[in-house]
Order: sequence, then C-alpha cells, then structure tokens
Amino acid sequence: MNNLPDMIWIELRKAIRSRMPLWTSLGSLFMPLGIAFLIFLAKNPELSRKLGLVSAKANLIAYSATDWASYLLLSAEIISAGGFFFFILAISWVFGREFVDGTLKDMLAVPVQRSSILMAKFIVVAVWSAAMAAIMLIFSLVVGAMIKLPGGSLSVILNGFTDAAITVCLVIAVVMPFALFASLGRGYLLPMAMAVLTLVTANLLMAVGWAEYFPWAVSMLYAQGESSLRPISYWIVLITSLAGMIGTYLWWKYADQNR
Amino acid sequence: MNNPIETENLGKRYGNVKAVEHLSLQVAEGEIYAFLGLNGAGKTTTIRMLLGMIKPTSGYARVLQTRVRIGSREPWKSVGYMVEDPHAYSELTVYENLEVARRLHPGTPPKAVGQMIERLSLGAYASRRAGTLSHGNAQRLGLAKALIHNPKLLILDEPANGLDPAGIVEIRELLLKLTSEQGGTIFMSSHILAEVSRLAGRIGIIHQGKLLQELNTDELERNRKRRLLLRVRDIGSAHRTLIAAGLPAEILQDGTIELKHASSIERPDDINQLLVNSGTPPTRLMVEEEELEEYFLRLVGMDKGLQNE
Repeated sequence: MNNLPDMIWIELRKAIRSRMPLWTSLGSLFMPLGIAFLIFLAKNPELSRKLGLVSAKANLIAYSATDWASYLLLSAEIISAGGFFFFILAISWVFGREFVDGTLKDMLAVPVQRSSILMAKFIVVAVWSAAMAAIMLIFSLVVGAMIKLPGGSLSVILNGFTDAAITVCLVIAVVMPFALFASLGRGYLLPMAMAVLTLVTANLLMAVGWAEYFPWAVSMLYAQGESSLRPISYWIVLITSLAGMIGTYLWWKYADQNR
Repeated sequence: MNNPIETENLGKRYGNVKAVEHLSLQVAEGEIYAFLGLNGAGKTTTIRMLLGMIKPTSGYARVLQTRVRIGSREPWKSVGYMVEDPHAYSELTVYENLEVARRLHPGTPPKAVGQMIERLSLGAYASRRAGTLSHGNAQRLGLAKALIHNPKLLILDEPANGLDPAGIVEIRELLLKLTSEQGGTIFMSSHILAEVSRLAGRIGIIHQGKLLQELNTDELERNRKRRLLLRVRDIGSAHRTLIAAGLPAEILQDGTIELKHASSIERPDDINQLLVNSGTPPTRLMVEEEELEEYFLRLVGMDKGLQNE
C-alpha cells in the first residue's frame, strides 16, 4: 500500500475541485429540512390548513417525532434511507467518472499499486459520506433545538447521536460494493439501478421478516431501533463490504480495460 | 538483444473477431517505430496489450525486458504513454493534471511539472481548467503527462491527432530531440504515412490485425511506384517513336504519355534525347513518385476500392 497519501491527495483534489461534495451535501440537507417543515406544520395547524398541505401521512411523520429521543430515531432512519442514495452518488462518481471521462487508462500502466489507488478512492468515499451524514445530523440537532423539542437531556442526545453514527457506519459499509457496480457498468447507471433494486428488496424482505440477513436492510433495522438484530447481521454487513472492495480490486486488476 | 519492445505471436480475439493476430515485432533501443494502420486495424488493441491494459489471447509482449502482465506495476516506472484521445480531469487545471501525473510516478520531483509546462508551451494555459482546452492543447497536455517522469520508452497512440501544422512540427521536433539527445525509444501509432515517414526510422504496417510489412525509410522510398510522365505536341508521333525504341509507353486520358519501365525512370535524359532526335521534343518531362498515402492504400489493398468509389 505504498504512495497512499499521494493517492488520497489526488482523489481529494478531484472531488473538491469538482464541487460534487458541496452539491451532494446541500442536497442531503433537504431531508432533515423536509422533516423540520412537517413538524413545523404539525405545530401550526392553522397555517397548514391555509396552505392546504396537511395529509395524514405528513402528520404521522411529524407526530412520531414528539420528543428528542423519537426525533433522533427519525433522523437516523432518514440517514439510513436517504443518506444511502447520497452515499451511492458519491461512490458512483468517484469510481464511475474514471470510465465516463476516459481517465481510467492514465491510472493503469503506472508504478503505483492498484490497491493504493483503490484504497484512496474508498477512503475518500467514506470521508465524503461521513461528512454528509455529519452535516445532516448537525442540521437535525439545530432544527430540533429551534422547534424546542421536549426531553432533551445530554444523555438522550448522545444516545441518539451514537445510534445515528452507527447507522451511518453500517450504511457506508454496504455502499462499498457499489464501486464494483460502477466499475462493471463503466459509469453511473448500474450503481443507480442497483441502489433502487436493493432498496426495493430491503423493503420486501422487511415485510416478510428476513431483512436481518439482507445487508442493505440491516442499517434500516438498526435505525428503527430493531432489537432483533443478531451478530450475524453485522457479520453479513462486514462481509458484504469487504467482498465489494475485494471484487472491485480484482476487477480493476484483472479485467480488460478497453476505455 | 535488449529491445525495449518485443512481441511474440501476440494476438487478441473478441469472440469470433480477431482484433490482432500473430504479431511479432521488435523495437530497438533509440528507435522511433511507427505502427501504421487504418482505423480499426488493431493499433490501439496492440498498444493496450503492450501496456498491460488488456490480456492477449495468444502470445506475449515484453516491455523493457519485463514480460507484460495485466494489472502489474512493472515496468511502468520508465514508460510514458498516451492512449487514444488525451483525456484529462476537466475540473482540474493543466498544472493540477500534471501534478496528478507526477504523483502517479513516485520519485518524480515537483519541479518536473513546471518543466513540462515550459517544454510543451503550456505556460499560458497552466491555470486553465483542462475542460476548457482546445483539442490541440489537450493533446499537448497528454504528451506532457506522458513525459513528466522522463521515461526511457514512449508509447504514443496517434500523437499528432488534432494538432495544427505548427503543432505537428513542434511535436515531431520534440520526439526527435527525445530520441537523439536522451536515447529514448518511441513506439507510435498513426494512420498517416506521410506524417510518420518524416519521423520514424522503421514502419510497421498493420491491416485487419495482421502485420503486413515492416520497412525502414529507405525501403519505403524503393517500394514506392515511380513513373515518367511526358507531354509532347505530337502525341501520336512521340508514342510511335517510343514503341519503336522498345519502350512500353501508354497514353493517358489527359494526353500525357506514361512510361513505367525502370530504364526510362532511371534515365529520363535518354528519353529526352530520343524524342528530340525524332523531331517530337517533350514540352514537359517529369519523374513522379507514388504518393505515400497511395502506396499505403495499395499495400493494404484499398487502392482499387477507393478508385471505384
């Protein structure tokens, strides 16, 4: 794993100069902002009636966040589902752009280990995703304080924050195989399609009760405070993540690169 | 022999399509070797196999005495390359793109970036984003990336593609300087024979995945068809004189007399004398060499195809 700092510098420079982290971070704020808006409407029924925006579902979401503990649980769920898409956007861009922009060939016949180049990419995806999640969480905390939620002790907030952080780690772990999808599909479309497929499958498996064995559902179950999660679920997440990274490495090392 | 490039029976097949087959060639140290072929002849596939980007389905390639293996990080420390279009990170500046190339070649000093910018005349564009460069300047950036670590061997795919005439001359001089002063070796592909004939010491012609011919520039000159063209006032009389002298002459549609016989081409002064003595002196007498592109198309069997169009 030689030259890793240089490779991280390259990946960070590409990401920062593209402004993709900025746009995805701003985009990810829409989710906590949306929840804040629903809670605000629920607290101001007169206004929502005037605007004609009330629906049973909106009220359900808003009233499920009546105190800090439930609000942070809701935030973790938002990160689990919504953050998942933004993290996939990040990993698809970091890996897929090399194929779309035709820049991959410049990284292939170089005296740097392929593992260093890929590890730098995975590290940048993890940091970028964690930064987006941190921005979402901090924004959620600010919104929670602004709408003056009850039951906000330091321990409640710390517990909620820890649960959200673990959720983020689980989501980042299961996003890693999407690097392989971006490589196999040589672009952005396959990882996006697979994201939709995994989310649909996760919801289906949750309905039939097998979700704890499906890696892309584990973070959702965790965010929901599901007590049924057993160590095997975490092992499945870890193995999926490692398999995705190793698969990406093998593909970058041994597959014919015609672009 | 320490040839920087050697291939033995190299081949690549995609299903039933043979992109490259039975390719055996050697490129000597300090040589500029041009790999010439039409679009789709197998040039880029060969270059990608030389660079370990695709696996051959038969044979092998050695680059700088190392057998090329897909995904390996040897022997790329001393190899610079440019494959197909010169893509760069569009959001990064010219300077940053070169900095990326420098870091991908550990041990290259930071000052190499500035040196390359100067050498490839990219100073005015150093702070410009690569996405805004013209095709010619993008090509220069591609070459600068290939040269940044001062490689012993350069593998270039159509290096003059998209350059204006001044740019072509500039690149030609740069590549000649690289081989003459630093003893570097260049393997370059092209589809323009006239362009490579001024640069390359040896030319390999590939067509439909097969190496048709290898020749040096002297052989190239010898192999080109030549003819003697004559213009006279009395065509019929001059033609009869030539035939009577045992010289196979042909009258072309525009009234020019064509002689393809070697003795006529070697001694046009004798033909002139013959016609002057017979009272039909030539008004124009010219030895014409086959154009390089015509020669190339004749070699790959496309000359008739083009004539029929």
